[in-house]
Amino acid sequence: MRQAGTYSGILSGGISGRTGPHSLPLARIKKIMKKSGDDVKMISGEAPIVFSKACELFIEELTVRSWLVTLKGKRRTLHKEDVAAAIISTDIFDFLVSLVSNSNGGYEAPDINGEEMVVENR
Amino acid sequence: MADGPASPAGGSHESGEQSPRSNVREQDRYLPIANISRIMKKALPANGKIAKDAKETVQECVSEFISFITSEASDKCQREKRKTINGDDLLWAMATLGFEDYIDPLKVYLARYREMEGDTKGSVKGGDGSGRREAVSGQAGQNSQAQHLMLPMQGTE
Repeated sequence: MRQAGTYSGILSGGISGRTGPHSLPLARIKKIMKKSGDDVKMISGEAPIVFSKACELFIEELTVRSWLVTLKGKRRTLHKEDVAAAIISTDIFDFLVSLVSNSNGGYEAPDINGEEMVVENR
Repeated sequence: MADGPASPAGGSHESGEQSPRSNVREQDRYLPIANISRIMKKALPANGKIAKDAKETVQECVSEFISFITSEASDKCQREKRKTINGDDLLWAMATLGFEDYIDPLKVYLARYREMEGDTKGSVKGGDGSGRREAVSGQAGQNSQAQHLMLPMQGTE
């Protein structure tokens, strides 16, 4: 019988061998990359690998910033609203603002004066 | 509040929903929620809990992040009349878009990966920092990169 060898055991990050040493599935990353635009046709083999790590860093950063919002509210459970607040108060997450404000009535911006909401969250 | 009509994912993030719209193929648009959840938990203290809606939001954000960076990298390739988006294009795009803090850890990660590919698969050299455990969040030092590659479990803390 085949046993999990050193390679799959040590490097797989504790989940099934599917992702190899990476904590996120490369094929899925590649699919999402291809959906980014019609011009995205060829992707080097290393690109999804870069993303597997980059996404991890991104998730960690977003989570930590969201958690700080949770703590400020003296809570112990991180909710969607905390993520939204973290996004709105962090410059590099500006590209996500529309994503969290669309599906969350609380942050819905009026037609004009969209910037005003940023101030409230400080 | 979370279930507004504008919800992009139609409210079902798990595969295997009976929804007739599962043709949209969630699994093509998002990374698996289990992986996302694991990485999130790792970033929180042990007593921290994460609501499902928060995981789903982060899941959407990650796909958006990938698209955001990829588009920028793709534009650069077009300007330079190249057809293939490579790792360096992505690093450049991240630096351009404000994620310069990710560059160093990513370079270390990539170097590790190349080294591993070069070796025979089973023998990865221990080398520097393989036994150290450090906080991963914040300014993720280079040792934490080694840690991800060298240590068996990421969710032990």
